[in-house]
Amino acid sequence: MTTTLQPMSSATFPVIPSPASAFLKIDQVSKIYPTADGPVTVLDNISLDVQEGEFVCIIGHSGCGKSTLVNMVSGFNRPSSGQVTLQNRPITEPGPDRMMVFQNYCLLPWLTVYENVYLAVDAVYTDKSKAEKASIVLDRLKMVGLTEARDKQPGQISGGMKQRVAIARALAIQPQVLILDEPFGALDAITKEELQDELLAIWRQQQVTVLMITHDIDEALYLADRLVMMTNGPNAQIGEIMDIGFARPRNRSAIMASSRYVELRNSALDFLYNRYAHLED
Amino acid sequence: MFVEVDHVDKVFPLANGGRYIALENIDLQIKQGEFISLIGHSGCGKSTLLNMIAGLDLPSKGGVVLEGRQITAPGPDKMVVFQNYSLLPWLTVRENIALAVNEVYRDKSASDRREIIEHHIDLVNLRPAAKKRPAQLSGGMKQRVAIARALSIRPKLLLLDEPFGALDALTRGGLQEQLMHICEESKVTAVMVTHDVDEALLLSDRVVMLTNGPASHIGQILTVDLPRPRQRMQVVKHPDYYPMRAEIIEFLNQQKRAKKRQAELQSSTVVMVPQLPKTTLNIGFMPLTDCAPLAIAQEKGFFAKHGLTVNLQKTSSWDDIAAGVAEQRFDAAQMVAAMPLAMTIGMNGLPGVPTSTSLVLSRNGNAITLSQELYERGAQSLSELKSVIALDQDRRYRIGIVHDCSMHNLMLRYWLAAGNIDPDQEVDLVILPPQTMVDKLRKGEIDGFCVGEPWGSQAVVEGIGFVVATDLEIWAGNPEKVLGVREDWQQKNPAAMLALVKALLEACEFCDEPRHRIEVAEILSGANYLGVPLLALTPSLTGPYIRSSTDPGQVLPRFHQFHLDNSNCPRRVEGLWILSQLARWNITPFPKNWSEVLERVRRVDIFLEASRQLGQVGIEPDRDAFQLFDGLVFDPDRPLEYLRQQKISRDYPVVQIDLDSAADRLLARTR
Amino acid sequence: MTATIPKSKSLSLKPSQLGKLVGTVLPPLVALLVLLTLWQIVCPEGSIGLPGPIQVWKETFDPYIINPFFDKGLTNKGLGWQVLASLQRVMSGFSLAAIVGVSVGILVGSNKLIFKAIDPIFQVLRTVPPLAWLPLSQVIFRSNEPSAIFVIFITAVWPILINTIVGVQQIPQDYINVKRVLRLSKVTYITKILLPAALPYIFTGLRIGIGLSWLAIVAAEMIIGGVGIGFFIFDSYTNSLMSQIIIGLVYVGLVGFALDRLVGFIASKVVAQEPK
Repeated sequence: MTTTLQPMSSATFPVIPSPASAFLKIDQVSKIYPTADGPVTVLDNISLDVQEGEFVCIIGHSGCGKSTLVNMVSGFNRPSSGQVTLQNRPITEPGPDRMMVFQNYCLLPWLTVYENVYLAVDAVYTDKSKAEKASIVLDRLKMVGLTEARDKQPGQISGGMKQRVAIARALAIQPQVLILDEPFGALDAITKEELQDELLAIWRQQQVTVLMITHDIDEALYLADRLVMMTNGPNAQIGEIMDIGFARPRNRSAIMASSRYVELRNSALDFLYNRYAHLED
Repeated sequence: MFVEVDHVDKVFPLANGGRYIALENIDLQIKQGEFISLIGHSGCGKSTLLNMIAGLDLPSKGGVVLEGRQITAPGPDKMVVFQNYSLLPWLTVRENIALAVNEVYRDKSASDRREIIEHHIDLVNLRPAAKKRPAQLSGGMKQRVAIARALSIRPKLLLLDEPFGALDALTRGGLQEQLMHICEESKVTAVMVTHDVDEALLLSDRVVMLTNGPASHIGQILTVDLPRPRQRMQVVKHPDYYPMRAEIIEFLNQQKRAKKRQAELQSSTVVMVPQLPKTTLNIGFMPLTDCAPLAIAQEKGFFAKHGLTVNLQKTSSWDDIAAGVAEQRFDAAQMVAAMPLAMTIGMNGLPGVPTSTSLVLSRNGNAITLSQELYERGAQSLSELKSVIALDQDRRYRIGIVHDCSMHNLMLRYWLAAGNIDPDQEVDLVILPPQTMVDKLRKGEIDGFCVGEPWGSQAVVEGIGFVVATDLEIWAGNPEKVLGVREDWQQKNPAAMLALVKALLEACEFCDEPRHRIEVAEILSGANYLGVPLLALTPSLTGPYIRSSTDPGQVLPRFHQFHLDNSNCPRRVEGLWILSQLARWNITPFPKNWSEVLERVRRVDIFLEASRQLGQVGIEPDRDAFQLFDGLVFDPDRPLEYLRQQKISRDYPVVQIDLDSAADRLLARTR
Repeated sequence: MTATIPKSKSLSLKPSQLGKLVGTVLPPLVALLVLLTLWQIVCPEGSIGLPGPIQVWKETFDPYIINPFFDKGLTNKGLGWQVLASLQRVMSGFSLAAIVGVSVGILVGSNKLIFKAIDPIFQVLRTVPPLAWLPLSQVIFRSNEPSAIFVIFITAVWPILINTIVGVQQIPQDYINVKRVLRLSKVTYITKILLPAALPYIFTGLRIGIGLSWLAIVAAEMIIGGVGIGFFIFDSYTNSLMSQIIIGLVYVGLVGFALDRLVGFIASKVVAQEPK
């Protein structure tokens, strides 16, 4: 495999520990990919502070680099410049304190639901006894309502259930940050709403910090504390951050009936379809 | 009409020999140039419906007509855009479009065809990609090719099956606007299946909402009256946009709850101890002429024929009927038409008791009778009654009704209000058992009543009253008595339910046969039933019906309507009218989730199944708008609009009715 | 740490191309060398029975290796001629099999009733070993040449036929819907949809077919005689010329390999890339 040359490797910028107290800090991060036609800046100088326990959604048209951004938080990808810190420690590689849930579930098809979750628990809690690990797995499966399906394989369950397994697996190892990359995009409306409610319940219970990519404005307005709206790539930036601010626990129909909802929704629509409309090709 | 989906059913045979009714009685007219969206949850049969319009699939019953010709096969005049694009991967963008153009326009010259192809490549802005193969295109671009291919052959009808379903929500948004502009420019008639509410509102002239399968049908149609040409930001800022969006979401939420409920019940029946099928039933009834179907089913052996042993239990008030069903003294009962709905929602502040009806037992059969005194004072019509009341401010006339939830009450109030008489301010309505009405009128305790036969005729015969209006004049064919059961009873005893409906359907058919009417009257006059002389029953059953002492009489064959004209179908649209009137007089709140309430209470599906098993042609009539005698149109898609238009009305709350917790409460109590 | 994958291919450089070539060619060459050495060690010169590679080389170098196209009359011809004669038979039989296999396959694949009726018969016939047909074909054709071609044909036709049937049957409903909605004519349907959609399957069948026919020709020629690589091996065997047998085998292997690659190459040019 060819290793990419990073024109501005992080070494050229001395890493200064961030003085800020933000829990998760994305600090002047840029990402540049070299291409045959010269370097392309995907993300241009992004800064975002996320408080502990906050629920943040990121929205933007495809190709705006939102996956690249969360990949730098998860550690799968590194910034070309700037840095991402979690509790003042720079993120340089993936770790169990930041778990990811993908749209396509990423479950091992030959393992049962239980075994898929156990695999993660086993890898992280090396010092725990088998019984302890088993009880963690069962506890998480119960949380997402999958106790009865524990012995099924991914091929035997619906998409919604698969995504529940993926969430259970991510939560089983008690991450500090849960990163979801458009987790409900492939689900039908009914299942989607169910999983949103479950995610909210878990988020409240576990007090985990959530960073979630979505394409669905209504989903973001229902779930998030703040909605980060990104401009189109290349050179994508944070265009606007919307404070959603509905009181919690939220009631879906109640907030949808409020005038503030309409206001926020229209402002997001305006951002995405008017000011930063995506002109495909 | 450009496209007519004419009472279409779609039934699929199942592997186990059974049949799955996917769609039932879909009736839809589409005007030329109209854009229609079909929306509903997955499994509601919306794609099946689209395929039948496309001719890719054929209806099991009914038909689809395009410009007067029945659709029997697919063809380029009904071009489909599929969700998965259906482009040929070995052809380029241009070749894919050319395939359609060359095939359809064979008689055109090569240069003409080329012009059409190039024009449509430009139409969807794909000139730079014209030489690319589908594998090199993004999902959005592929769908643009499919749209260009579809439009290039100028179809009469453009059919879109979740065209953007495979794309993410934001990419979808941009394409929706493009599609909208293209459709507006080409003025094509289009039908689109979608599950995206914003997409439906942005593009459509009407949004057709389908209920869940099985036996999915049109639940509501929303007319999207937004000005064209549309532009997304203008559309969402239109004051009607979010209310309309909320209306569709509310409908979908109701369907979602129903779906979950169904799944829960299905999984819980496995746990439920299997009961022996119930064959002995206690059925409550009121001794009125229109209890005929129950009496006939008993006496002519229709109950026995369907394996039921029935104890008919005579009661003296409608409240007793309601309580008897709620407390399970009765398995089923003859009810006034509004009672199942009112019981389900909860009348007079009581908690709701989910009750359902699968059968209308009779239609019409009521009359408004006023005292001889009023007759003499000139109150011989509605307007005259108004003047009499207005003249005599000190006197409050008292009119007897039988129950808040009876059609007598709703019709009387409607009639009075239409004549500008406020039924709460200008008269006193008092609730009395039907059999006491004549007596009270004779004693002068009341000045009139609205009640079922034979009591109106009785008052006329005695010379103490006259019939000022029959319900034939107010709303001919109105639903009067229905068969009511508790919802959980019906869920636990599906076989008995069906047998009961079948027995009563046959009895209803018997009662409407003119040559049987005398026998019906004879049976009813027996002590087990009304215990009145035969002559008191014949005016309404066989005629002549006499309205006053000076009236020579008139034969009114439809005065009681038991079976003809699809009488027995518990139409949801009529249920909605009843809901509107219950709210109008603040008897019950108006349910925000009215569509869910109607689906649960008015079990058209059971009625249809019983009809089918009997070989009768039972269908749910069209959900068209209708009007009562005053001409105010009731549009079943805008019940609240109807209420707003009525001058006299009380304040009523619009609330969400939690059917499931009410049902669970009942289940918990009976366990 | 994960290295990032560049989005577009970097311009390929000459040294890397050379390296790639070395990378693909070198390992099999080394393996061949090792194999030959082992063989030589096991069968040293002068031993009785199987000759070693050096002995084979020496014994067949003239005329078989340096002059593949000598002709000393009758069956005494260079290996080039022998192979060409065999190839000619294969080509006749295989072409026939391709024409019949594809056309009958399309017919059977597009018609459920015919498929149901005929498929079991095909399933039985295809298991009959090629050589088992030989006696029958000799009786029918009463001549060596046509019966050899017939054996090739009957060997190659089954995989072509069955794969074509599957190819036609698996055409996605989407494409069928396009045909129905556009009311495509039979010809357009076959050329624009059916053939392109079934082509990957047809080529799989052709590739298996060509392999099988090459297997069958050698066996058939051993029995019917005449010019041909099969008979050459058989003739060498009757004369106990071990080295000639071995050089014959090498030729058979190389030609079979070349045939397979040839069909594969044509397929890669003709079959549309499957969309991801």
